[in-house]
Amino acid sequence: MQQPFGEEMQHPYAIPGDANAWPHTDAKDELARSQVRLMWRKARTYLLVIAIAIYSFLPIYWMFVSSIRPPQELFGQPSLVPKSFTLEYFNVLFELTNFPVNFMNSLIVTVLTTIITLFCAIPMAYVLTRFQIKGKSILTNIMLGAYMFPPMLLAIPLYAIFVKIHLDNTLLSLVLAHTTITLPLGVWLLGGFFKTLPFEIEQSAMIDGCTRFQAFRLVVLPLSLPGLVTVSIFSFLLSWTDYTYALMLIASDANKTIPIGLASMLGSYDIRWGEIMAGSTIITLPLLVIFVFLSRYFIKGLAAGAMKG
Amino acid sequence: MNSRNHRWLVFGFLAPGILLTFVGIVLPLLYAVYLSLFRLESFVGVPEFVGLVNYYDALTDGRFWRATYNGFIYSLATIALQVVIGILFATILNESFKGKAFIRGLVVLPYILPTVVVTLIWGWLLDGNVGLITSILHSLGLPAIDWMSSPATAMMIIIFVSTWTWTPFVTVCFLAALQTVPEDLYAAARVDGTTAIQRFFYITIPVVKPVLVVIVLMRGIWTFNKFDVTWLMTKGGPVESTEHIPVLAYVKAFTLFDIGNGAAIATLGFIMLSVLVWLYFRLFPTED
Repeated sequence: MQQPFGEEMQHPYAIPGDANAWPHTDAKDELARSQVRLMWRKARTYLLVIAIAIYSFLPIYWMFVSSIRPPQELFGQPSLVPKSFTLEYFNVLFELTNFPVNFMNSLIVTVLTTIITLFCAIPMAYVLTRFQIKGKSILTNIMLGAYMFPPMLLAIPLYAIFVKIHLDNTLLSLVLAHTTITLPLGVWLLGGFFKTLPFEIEQSAMIDGCTRFQAFRLVVLPLSLPGLVTVSIFSFLLSWTDYTYALMLIASDANKTIPIGLASMLGSYDIRWGEIMAGSTIITLPLLVIFVFLSRYFIKGLAAGAMKG
Repeated sequence: MNSRNHRWLVFGFLAPGILLTFVGIVLPLLYAVYLSLFRLESFVGVPEFVGLVNYYDALTDGRFWRATYNGFIYSLATIALQVVIGILFATILNESFKGKAFIRGLVVLPYILPTVVVTLIWGWLLDGNVGLITSILHSLGLPAIDWMSSPATAMMIIIFVSTWTWTPFVTVCFLAALQTVPEDLYAAARVDGTTAIQRFFYITIPVVKPVLVVIVLMRGIWTFNKFDVTWLMTKGGPVESTEHIPVLAYVKAFTLFDIGNGAAIATLGFIMLSVLVWLYFRLFPTED
């Protein structure tokens, strides 16, 4: 029995014990040999999977443990599991640095961005998928093109405009900049979602006496909750993690967001890795929580190219 | 649906989105092109019209072409690595093993980390004095390497870190695509006595090819435009050896305050990208 190397064992032909399928081989001998092969293949799969897991997760694990190791351990001979632990870096971060301010700024920007995105993207995506209107293709093309625009091509003129209207260096300017990424994304994701809802549901609601708007609000919106969750997640995520726009639009310490605040800790001569890893952990935690509890929506959005990076 | 009966609904629904699109995207884009025709010493200065001088300056500047070259090296290497590693990972993770869902989740994590955190973690791992990788090298009796101070290793590290954080996107897309490969196809091929490698190239690749075409396009566009990884890791250095178009445009506009030139470089970068995307569509026509 010629069993080719490295394949799934799901098909009946591939089951090693099924020697009867191959009447010309010595069944007993073949059984033993293919069991060895099977074990070897299983072992190989597990080894590869473990290697992939280490490659993907070890750096992240290292961030976590580095944020709770006392300094003598952090800068000494590294051990995989910390021998003692401390919350010193988190204390320093919150007591002695600008981190709490950065945190609040990030929160404000992120929440506002998400709300504005939902407010603009939901109705827009709805009209674009349900109505035949003039200029529809222009709008869809702009939304698609926004996937391609270099951030730099938007950030330079945006900052120049904000300076002109004295809105530079404000959280609001950052919110506006973030919505230029999240709005096209929201329209894109929600448009795809509305398309999957049959038009009959609105029709029957209107036959029952709803107005068009009521049909949208009472029937379509509740049904599109998964789509709304996906868009909220990614608006939150893009805004929460953005470094590029924040770097260009925000100069004053009072308005810096976490990514900028963290990155600027690298600039100092004496790099405080413990505090930096503690800050990194804090900024990562909400993402992990979302990922663990809402991973279904998450993966859907990822595959649709929501991260733009 | 007839839109005339619902004129006000259509109008009201579109207004906020269109307003935001116009103010946040269309207007700034036009303004960027406008700015690129002017000389400005600062963001508050009075612009002086200079025509295409900024474009001429950019195109005759060796630094611009070096940045273009670096951008291509960076993008091509990162995309190639992501695709190869992504396919490899997807194929392995498509096998049956215990804890599959957990591992598949774990593998996505590098992708959802904020870029800042990614660069900080790797900066910490690669730290020349106390980093984990330096310690490992040390315990193997090898000297510490100052990764970021030599042009060749700096570019290598940026490519590696970018690949590390973006590969999960490719892995997830391929895993999804692999689910569409009918198992019968493999079974039939097995009966015909093919090797696993033959099945990979003659069944898996043709089936996932449409996904591959789209992935390379998306990753190409994003990598070409990506500013933050390079800026955070090297600021384009050492001696401009990792500087690419987005970094150069940033440096011109925000640190040298040659705003017109920065806008011109950003515009040129976008034109270059558009041409590449157009060429790509000619080479690999997609239905969508």
